[in-house]
Formats: sequence, C-alpha cells, structure tokens
Amino acid sequence: MKALKLKKEDLYAYLESLKSYGELWGPVPRGERYVYARLTNVREVALQALRTILPPKKFFVPPRFNMFRYSEDRYTEVFDDVKPRVLFGLHPCDIHGLMILDELFLERFPDPYYRKRREATAIIGLSCIPDDKCMARSTNTHAVEGGFDLAFNELGDEYLVWVGSSLGDDLVRLNLDLFNEEIDAQDLQKYLEWRRKRDSRYKLNFDLTGMPDIMELSWDSDLWQELADKCLACGACSMVCPTCNCYNIRDVSDLSLESGVRERHWDSCMNKEYALVAGGHNFREARAERLKLYYTHKLKAFITEYGKPSCVGCGRCIDTCPVNINVAEVIRALKGQEVKV
Amino acid sequence: MAEIPKPKVGFYGFTGCAGDLLTILHCEDELLDIFNAVDIRSFLMASSDVHDDEELDIAFVEGSITTDHQLESLKGIRKRSKVLVAIGSCACFGGPQAARLGCGDWEKRFKKVYGEVKHTVAEPRESHPLDEYVKVDYCIPGCPIDKHQFFFALTRLAKGMPVELTTFPVCAECKWNENECLLLKGELCLGPVTAGGCNSRCPNHNLPCVGCWGPTSEANVASEINLLKERNFSAEEIVNKLRLFGGAAMVRRFADLLGIKTEEPAGKPRQKKARKPVAAGKAKKKTASKSPKAKSGKKR
Repeated sequence: MKALKLKKEDLYAYLESLKSYGELWGPVPRGERYVYARLTNVREVALQALRTILPPKKFFVPPRFNMFRYSEDRYTEVFDDVKPRVLFGLHPCDIHGLMILDELFLERFPDPYYRKRREATAIIGLSCIPDDKCMARSTNTHAVEGGFDLAFNELGDEYLVWVGSSLGDDLVRLNLDLFNEEIDAQDLQKYLEWRRKRDSRYKLNFDLTGMPDIMELSWDSDLWQELADKCLACGACSMVCPTCNCYNIRDVSDLSLESGVRERHWDSCMNKEYALVAGGHNFREARAERLKLYYTHKLKAFITEYGKPSCVGCGRCIDTCPVNINVAEVIRALKGQEVKV
Repeated sequence: MAEIPKPKVGFYGFTGCAGDLLTILHCEDELLDIFNAVDIRSFLMASSDVHDDEELDIAFVEGSITTDHQLESLKGIRKRSKVLVAIGSCACFGGPQAARLGCGDWEKRFKKVYGEVKHTVAEPRESHPLDEYVKVDYCIPGCPIDKHQFFFALTRLAKGMPVELTTFPVCAECKWNENECLLLKGELCLGPVTAGGCNSRCPNHNLPCVGCWGPTSEANVASEINLLKERNFSAEEIVNKLRLFGGAAMVRRFADLLGIKTEEPAGKPRQKKARKPVAAGKAKKKTASKSPKAKSGKKR
C-alpha cells in the first residue's frame, strides 16, 4: 500500500478521468438523505454524505435481478448490468460490509452473480467524521486496511490517497499528474491528528468483547418479546443493513408458458414466511424468535464463525427503523446502559 | 409432443370500479399472449362471445358482493370452476364500500343514501368479499391489481402450479427503491402493515401507502397505531385509513384494536331471503367471534 496526495481542488478533474475506466457512481442527495447514483456530472457528488439509504451491497446483489432466462431445453445466465464501474465515496464501515459479503459470497461457495459484479467494480473509499448514529469504532470498522482499490482521506486542503490494489495503481495512473508522491513528516502529524479527531467524535461506544456470551445468557430474556411487541416486522432493517444478504428466488414464466426467468430478490429473516418450509411448518413463527435470530446473527453467530460481528456500525438501522429497534438499542438493553466514553 | 389443452378461463366482475379487469385489458403489449396462453371463455369487457354455462379451470373474479343476484352468480361461478381467484381489493376484502363492515348499521346507511326505494333489479346487501360466501383459492389484492402479479398467477395456474404471492410488506420494496421513509417524515403511511408486491408505487411518488393491498400476514397493527398516535394522528384518522381498503380483513383480524364493536358478525346472512352464505354456520353464533370464517381466524 502506498500513499499519495491529491489537492482537493483537483478532485473533480480526477473523478472525471475515472470515467475512462467505467461508469462512475457516488453518493448524491435524495431529499434529506443520500443514495448511490451514477455521476454523469461529477460535481453532483455529495462529499458530505455520511450514509446512503441502501448500502453499496445493492451493486453486487441487486435488490431484484434475473439470474437466468430459461426455456424448455436450456438456460442462459443474465449479466446485462455487469459492466466496469467505479464506486466513489464508500466510508470505511461500508468497505468492511463489503469485505463481509466477500467472505460469504466468494469463499466457500462462490456466487457467480456476486463475483462478476464485484470483479467489474473498483472501490474508492472516502474518510468521514462520524455523527451520533455511527458506531463503527465499537465494531472496529472505523478504519480500513484493505478492501479498497483507492482510499481518500481528507486532510485539510488535500486528500491522502492510499493505493490498496494494483487496480488502484492503474486508476491513479489514469491521471497521474494530479497526484503528489511527496509525503513528509508533517503529513503524518496531520493524519494522526485527524484520526484522533475522528475517534473522539463517536457518540455511540460499546465494548463488544464477549458479546456471544452475553447473547447466550440472554436467550430467554423478556427483551425479545418486548421488542417483538413493537417490531413492525417490515424487514427494513435487513434491507438497509450492509451485511444482511438473505434472498429468495422464484421462477417467473413468460406468458408463452415455455420460457421465463429465475428471479432473485432480497429477503429478510424478519419476514414471517422466511422460515416456513414445505408441509407448512414454520421454524420461527413468533416475531420474538425472529428478532432474536437477527441479533444473534449480528452479535453472536457471526463472531463465533468469523471472529467479528456482522454489524459494521454504519448506523443505517438506527436511521431506518420507524419504531427504534436497532443494534445500538439492543446492545444497550442486553448490557444495561453502557457508559458512554 | 402431444398438445396439452389450454386451461379454460373466465373473467367476471361484481361491485367495484372494474379497474382490475381494465388493468388486464390495458396490457396491450401482452394481451395477445394472454389470449394465447389460455382459452378465455368469458370476459365480457373484452368480448360479447361469452360461454357462461361451461366448466372452467380458472375463474378470476373482481368486485365485492352487494346484491343477492351477485351472490347467486358467484356461487354459480364457484361451482363451475376448479380454481377461483379473487382479484382486487373489493373481491379480496370488500373494497372501500366495506370500510364500515361490522358496524351493524348498514340498513340505516343504505337508507340515508338511497331513501325508501323499491328494489326492482336485485336485493341489495352490505358489501362483502368473495370469501365470505365461497371458497377462494387465491387473493390477488390491489386497487388496482399489479399486472405482473396477475401474469405471475395466471402462468402458474395455467401450468397447474401453486401461486406464491408476495409476503413481505410495502416497506421492503420501498427500501429497494430507496425512497425517503414517509413514516419517519411524519406521514400517515401504512407501508409496514400492508402487503407488498406493488413495487411501493405510491411512496415512489412521495405519497404515503393507503393500504390498498390489505394487511400482511403478520401486520403489527397495534404497533402501527401506537406509532401513528405518537406522530399526533387521531385514533379516528388512523382507524379510518386502516379500514378504507382493509375492509373485512381488518374486521376479522383487528376488530378489538380498531374498536369495531360488531353487533352482527360480518358474514351474517340477510334475514329476508335467508340465503345462507357458506360461513352461515359460524355466523349464527352471534357473539362468538368477529371472524365469521374459520380461515380468517387462523390467519394470524
């Protein structure tokens, strides 16, 4: 990994040159929120955006897409939307979210639909200063050491730019003249200072050590029923979570009845029908059971399996749930009111 | 390959705006394919060549039942059809004309609107959904229905396969479409308790969900009401909104929550002509249940 510098005033020019690699996407405003959208005009990018409504998982596992077209004797996979893309402006938590999806979709059972989209996409990170809903420091996802091709760190009137892959190196070379390779001790001081500032801004701080133990001990807690009484079971928490990745598939026939598509769409373990199996048995009919599963997955099972929670602290569930059920509230409830650092 | 006979299909409409049948007729790009996929024996809005004495594989029925004459027709359709599909909110839940179902003051309301009139064409009755009277195999809700959901059901049934309709609420698709949450913006949105599949059509246009697809299998109406009250909506506003399209589904499942004091169970047959609805056995138990149909009671 090497570091370069880019003057802030040169950002737009550089973004423009990224378009020669592929479609450029980044955060833009939508009402009072932000979404990742295609940047035809690079000046539309919302550099102040903290969290988008949907995380970048939407690029790699679209909410609804066709896996393949079938006819009576063959099937053809559909990759129409797979094209070279540059995603600009991913914050560290979202990059960590992608790294979790990578582990799930690229390792033991590679998912061709995820892989093709992932391989065609360059990731450019952007540093951020947290707001009161960010809890990435607690999940240790507030900084990135990998998982990106380039990472921009705001530093006064410049960006420190980390090159994280050979593709990142290629991307820099698209407009090398804009970059300065001279890094000095002052830059290091400024960077360390910036890190201290960022770390001091977290309002949500939880010690998640030993979370699986606490979850285990809370198995029969009344908490789950209390939450279930409030929970609307709308599944919005799953949709906006950068690491929730469950899906459902269904075959949709053409009217010819001879051909059709296999469609895949996001699902949520909060849906009542999620654990419904053939024969009509539902393993988690009670909403309390489903809520427990959701948070067990985030804060226990994933830690046991992968050594880290599957919450990256992005704050989207805090921003989204209409009845304020979210990972911070659940951790608070499970641990008693955590002392805010 | 031996030619498999095309399924015989009929389309029918009772009380409603005909918007669901029109939705199908408006599928101009797909209309020929629809007529090709199945053998349409009756679709009065499309063709006067109707064969209403034949056995059908699938009947699609729009509209709620509001006269004795319609009830007879419905029973006839049921008898002739292997699969009966209710299409649209009127057929599924009774429609807006069933928004006051269960209040027990239908005759009074009817007189208020029509006065003392002599019914010459047919004997009117309070609007009820189809499943109040006959077995309904599938409900495709919506005001109007979504054509893709209709195609999905049609093709599945034409192949003799079961139809899995959408189970997630409107909020799921609303998130997929990355709309700003209207509930969080303080609007009276029924997205969390309403069945999805409409591609969150209204919120996509910045309009709150009015619940026209009816409640999800697990609508947490109690929590939705609390939430809306916290947003300073009056109980009356909330209840009216929930009942506007929720009709019989709201009465059957959430009567207590909505403060519906059913003086008579929804499915009670009108006394004059004593034509028994299918659910008559249950309906007779006057105070026993707000859920006149066994099916509805198990839905939760």
